[in-house]
This record gives sequence, C-alpha cells and structure tokens, in this order.
Amino acid sequence: MSQFERDLRESLRHREPPSGFAEKVLARSRESEARHTARRWLVAAAAVVLMIGGGIFVQQQRQQAEDERAKEQLMVGLRITGSKLRNVQERLSRIQERAVQRQSNP
Amino acid sequence: MTKIEFESVVRDHQRMVYSIACNFFHNDAIAEEVAQDVFLQLFEQHRTIQLGTHCVAWLRRSTVHRCIDAMRRSGFRQEMQVDCLPDIASEAPETDLLLQEGLRRLIASLPEKPRTVLILRYGEDMDVEEIGRTLQMPARTVWSHLQRGTAMIREKATRYLKENVLEGDRR
Repeated sequence: MSQFERDLRESLRHREPPSGFAEKVLARSRESEARHTARRWLVAAAAVVLMIGGGIFVQQQRQQAEDERAKEQLMVGLRITGSKLRNVQERLSRIQERAVQRQSNP
Repeated sequence: MTKIEFESVVRDHQRMVYSIACNFFHNDAIAEEVAQDVFLQLFEQHRTIQLGTHCVAWLRRSTVHRCIDAMRRSGFRQEMQVDCLPDIASEAPETDLLLQEGLRRLIASLPEKPRTVLILRYGEDMDVEEIGRTLQMPARTVWSHLQRGTAMIREKATRYLKENVLEGDRR
C-alpha cells in the first residue's frame, strides 16, 4: 500500500457521531412506530366503517329489489284481475243485451 | 430483527453509517440527518432484514444511496477550489491533521461515483467486488472510478502544493 493510500485511509477513518445520536434515532423510531400504529388503527376503523356501510347498502339494494319484484307481481295480478273483470263485464253486458232484445221481441 | 436487536444495531453501526455520510458530504449536519434517515428506514424494514453481514451490507448500500439522493435533491455539490484547502505551511505537528482535512475536502468535492467508490474502498476497507455488489455495477467500472478518483485527488493536491508550498518558498 502506498503512502497516498495510507493517507486516504487515515482521512476516511470512522469517526464518532454527535453525542446522543443513537438516542435521537431511537426516539424517532418510537415516534414513527406510534404514527404507524395510529395509521393502522385508522385504516382498520375505515375498513370497519366501509364494511358496515357496504353491508347496509347491499341490504337496502336487496330490499329494494324485493319490493320491485313484489310490486311487479302485484301489477301482474292486478292486470289478470282486470282482464277477468273485463270478461265478466262483457258477458254481463251481452246477457243484459239479450234480455233487452227478448223483452222488446217477445 | 427484533426491536431490541434494532437498538443494538444502531449502537454498533452508528459510527459506520455516520462516517460514510460525513465523508460523502464533509458536512456534519447533513451527515447526521442522512444517517438518522438510514436507521429509520432500517426500523421500518427491520422485520425483513437479518442480522449480521446482510444488515451491514444493507446499511452501507442504503447510506450510499441516501447520500446520492440527498445530494441530487438539494443540488448540494461541494465544488472545492484549491484555495479552500488548509494552509499546510503551518506548524509541523499539525501537518498530518491538515493533510487529512484537505484530503477529506478533496474527496467530498469529487463527482458522486468516484467519491462513493473511494469512501467504500478506503473508509470501509471493501474490495472492488464488494463495492460492485453494493453499488450494483461491474467490478471493472468500480476499478475505473477508483482510478479516476485517486487521479483527480492527486492532480488537485499537486496543483495545490505547487501553488502554495512552492509559491511560499519563493516568497
């Protein structure tokens, strides 16, 4: 090894960090951990709120779909009843017409 | 790595991390900030990093990368003129200290790659292969940065000596 290399080695040798360096690092790591823990709780709380909200939304959608189905069934039922009533009414009118004809042409 | 092991890693390797950053910037405040950030990054990843040689290699690599990032981000560049070197024509016992200080400044004024290679070679006593692995570059490139870095320092130091010592003798 040349003198120049020895000089380089000597000038780049390890030196002590400022006093309290390790303590500062450890304090910052504790702060960082506390921040992470708080963030994890926040994320968990947000996930729970989302799950509950999502559940309520899905339940509402299901209920709405059921209501729609029931409404449709009712409408179909009413349509069938309506057409039956119309048939009955037509028959009754025909019977009435015949009765009137019989009365006018005995 | 557990939290207790992390604490012992901080205490055992604080000199190494701080010295790399300090030699890189030749600025105590920036070096301290970078070194703290390196350990915080280690803390965030401590579950995935194994103790021992893996951890030391990780610390060296992260410190070097953080130094380069910090330098690029802040545009921090220590362009040093020969006039800024300490006056070596002072008292004889102080010559070594002044020489070391001068060399440190010269190293910190080199371009980032030769500077990093020199710091790892002479500050961390790593061989060319290890430096290549750390900086993810071929050994031949490391070797060429090493040659370039030492040549630049020699050239700057020679210029300085000519301008100061010889001029001083003439006076």
